[in-house]
Amino acid sequence: MPSSQLLRSRPAVGWALLASELSVLFRRRRTWAMLLALAAVPILIALAVRLSSATPPPGRGPAFLDQITQNGLFVGAVGLIVCVPLFLPLTVGVVAGDTIAGEASAGTLRYLLVAPAGRVRLLLVKFAAAVVFCVAATLAVAVAGAAIGIALFPVGPVTLLSGDTISVGESLLRSLLVAAYISVSLIGLSAIGLFISTLTDVPVGAMASTIVLAVVSQVLDSLPQLDWLHPWLFSHYWLGFGDLLRQPISWDSFGNNAILQAAYVLVFAALAYGRFSSKDILS
Amino acid sequence: MNRAWKRWVPAGVVVAVIASAAIAVPLTASAAVDLPTKTPQQVLALVARSHVGSLSGTIEQTSNLGLPQLPTTGTGSDSAASSALGLLSSSYTARVYLDGPTKARAQVMDKLAERDVIRNGSDVWLYSSRDNTAIHSTLPARTNKRPGATTGEVKTPGELATKLLAAVDSTTTVSVGNDTRVAGRTAYDLVLTPRATGTLVGSVSIAVDSETGLPLSVQLAARGQKDPAFSVAFSSLTLAAPSADVFSFTPPVGAKVKEQAMPSHQGAMKPLRPETDAVKPSMIGSGWDAVLSMPAGAETAKLTSSPLFGKLTTTVAGGHLFHTALVNVLVTNDGRVFAGSVPVERLQAVASAP
Amino acid sequence: MTGDAASGEPAIETHGLTKRFGSYAAVNGIDLTVPRGAVFGFLGPNGSGKTTTIRMLLGLAVPTSGTVRLLGHDMSGDLRDVLPRVGALVEGPGFYPYLSGAANLNRLDTADRYAPSATRRARVDSALERVGLGHAARKKVHAYSLGMKQRLGIANALLTPRELLVLDEPTNGLDPQGTREVRSLVRSLAAEGTTVFVSSHLLAEIEQICTHAAVMSVGNLVAQGTLDELRRVGQPQVRVLTPDPDAAARVFERLGLSPASVDDSDGTAAAATVTAPLNDELTDPDSIVAALVSDGVRVRGFSIERASLEDRFVALTGEGFDIAQ
Repeated sequence: MPSSQLLRSRPAVGWALLASELSVLFRRRRTWAMLLALAAVPILIALAVRLSSATPPPGRGPAFLDQITQNGLFVGAVGLIVCVPLFLPLTVGVVAGDTIAGEASAGTLRYLLVAPAGRVRLLLVKFAAAVVFCVAATLAVAVAGAAIGIALFPVGPVTLLSGDTISVGESLLRSLLVAAYISVSLIGLSAIGLFISTLTDVPVGAMASTIVLAVVSQVLDSLPQLDWLHPWLFSHYWLGFGDLLRQPISWDSFGNNAILQAAYVLVFAALAYGRFSSKDILS
Repeated sequence: MNRAWKRWVPAGVVVAVIASAAIAVPLTASAAVDLPTKTPQQVLALVARSHVGSLSGTIEQTSNLGLPQLPTTGTGSDSAASSALGLLSSSYTARVYLDGPTKARAQVMDKLAERDVIRNGSDVWLYSSRDNTAIHSTLPARTNKRPGATTGEVKTPGELATKLLAAVDSTTTVSVGNDTRVAGRTAYDLVLTPRATGTLVGSVSIAVDSETGLPLSVQLAARGQKDPAFSVAFSSLTLAAPSADVFSFTPPVGAKVKEQAMPSHQGAMKPLRPETDAVKPSMIGSGWDAVLSMPAGAETAKLTSSPLFGKLTTTVAGGHLFHTALVNVLVTNDGRVFAGSVPVERLQAVASAP
Repeated sequence: MTGDAASGEPAIETHGLTKRFGSYAAVNGIDLTVPRGAVFGFLGPNGSGKTTTIRMLLGLAVPTSGTVRLLGHDMSGDLRDVLPRVGALVEGPGFYPYLSGAANLNRLDTADRYAPSATRRARVDSALERVGLGHAARKKVHAYSLGMKQRLGIANALLTPRELLVLDEPTNGLDPQGTREVRSLVRSLAAEGTTVFVSSHLLAEIEQICTHAAVMSVGNLVAQGTLDELRRVGQPQVRVLTPDPDAAARVFERLGLSPASVDDSDGTAAAATVTAPLNDELTDPDSIVAALVSDGVRVRGFSIERASLEDRFVALTGEGFDIAQ
């Protein structure tokens, strides 16, 4: 019987499902709309600075804003600073909240599981795709910022927070490090979104809850009365990428952030497993 | 039912592992240290003999002075209160580099900003990334300050300990507490306790590196307060000469550069301290419960007219009180200023004394 | 793995399968046996627990108690090995509306680790051809009609050769032509040796293709067996078409039969049908005709009929197709 032959062949590792997941994610118009919206942030900032006659005074507005007119390479940094508290968590919340609940509401979840995708494998693939989106979203801001900055402003050696100056090449390297830092920062939120997504069949609910949590975490982080809690909040190190713009680079924030995000990933992936592996798929 | 229960085991295990790691890591860091017993005099001698000239490390300063706290969120703007009160009374993390008596750099690492003090030979630079200003001054050739003395307002545990130990006299009991571990190094715990009861200071605890005698941390405890009111400590420390280019500073293109004739702690890091008054202050009493007194003048008038003054002080009999866990400052209604590590009643008594 | 297909174990076997939602038992301890090679009709009104049963068969829902064996494997442990051999359509189609039909099948095929990627494209195309969607393969699914989505769902079940097909209401949303096509598809699959498990609330749609059937009512399995076995359970009826219904009824009564109904609704007022349940052992059908004729009753038609499956279905599940509570 042909099916018996099929089964005798060893099962594939399953990269095809990840590739398919990524192509489904990036073939959605919604995904591209979000990436374009993110890319628009540094572009709007650059245009606003270029078109206004007055140079922004130092110390006002987001950090580095006053540096843009002298050096276009700062546009990406300003864009990231503006996007980190809300826009990036927003888009990551949409993607992460949609992971399981979106499939459930479309009715595709039951067909994936009957195929069978395997519940743990599906969770892993969904999480991996959410992480890829974190990187893509961060790069959208950084790359769009660098491109518009180079197009509209002079480019030259870059001044770090420490007052030291580095070459254009090294500054691009540091921009990539900052993008890596922010991508890592968003991974914990993705894991939370994945877990919430296993709780419901309503994707909008999961997205909204994830985004609300991101905001709540930042609000708690700003209350000095709760400083014992701060190191445990997943958003605590979100703006710590400044440490990568010092001379010499301080890796402490990067390390602490990575450990914190890894802890969130472990906890919420385990919770998502607990919930999803025994969940009745009734959608 | 049994199977459903097993699904949650990984989540339970992960939470348990993280919780135990969160408890165990600080415990191992401060695991019991057993150093050869030393008398307080021997530890004091160890500090006195210490001559660590080169180091790079990170210091964490926390102050829990009971000041009014304001949320400090925001991507770019700083809280006005914390900068007005100066670095000494704030909490921050700074990297410190020292190489010999004439090269030093301190970097106060703010969120998305940095304040730098760089001394290289006779050149001293203050740089603030927030407003992109650099202040340059040249030290007189004869100045030969002690190592670390030029990191400005950023006080290393060594500098503070030196000041505190210089003031040790008969009014202070010196003892050695439990051996401890700071920044991964074993240390003796030197405890200074004021004999006088009329002071706000409960005790001062200085961790002294068992190997080099370098003070690794300083903690000030206020009377009746459980957590240290003020603490400055190395969180990491390397006793090796930092790379030379750490100390070479060229103001970045586009920065506002100001020349200043004399070295000063003003400018980027201006503190709110009555001592900067041009009018000479005077000391009443000595030891821990001494009171600093200042006549009314232009400087004190400036102080009281500040909008922050109202926020930070409370009205008491005879004037306005600025209260912290370690220091009380009384600004009398006629503009005189009295300050000291003493209860407010003593300041009021000194103020009303003829 | 080898020998599985040859083994005599049923394609589907459940014991005491129960699913409770709170205190409400959606499926109440059913013992279902679907022999290999059968076309098995799973009948019951809406809400009788058919879909919940199917979800448990496929491992989508965990039974509150009881066991499920598919193709000789216990579903609580061997899900991953069994499901690739099972094609399924569960409670209507579910697809990504922004992907084309072919892309949808492609995606679901990647989820099956045993499905060879080299032949994926060809298998997707042939599955689409088989359900008559070849022309719409590159169209986005949001432009599909309900019937086309239903066909796409069936195509998904046919992506790889299967030993068992579970089709939940496969004719939902299909026009009569589509329904006929599904029937002939099921017949050809069965001819290839695939066991087909078809659920429906409309008996008429699957009666013609089934070899076996089971009937669900309010979470309980009320009957199961071959179609003949199910039909045999009912009492045969004797029917006489006559212009003299009253006389015929009197003859029936004399013979010890109780005429149940007089039906003159066949349009010709000249004749009516008299029906009576027949007790096989006591009455010889031939003697009934003789008795009628000898009494001068004009007999235009005479038949002994077993109850239709439809009648059995209605008798088992209650009149009409109200949603069972």
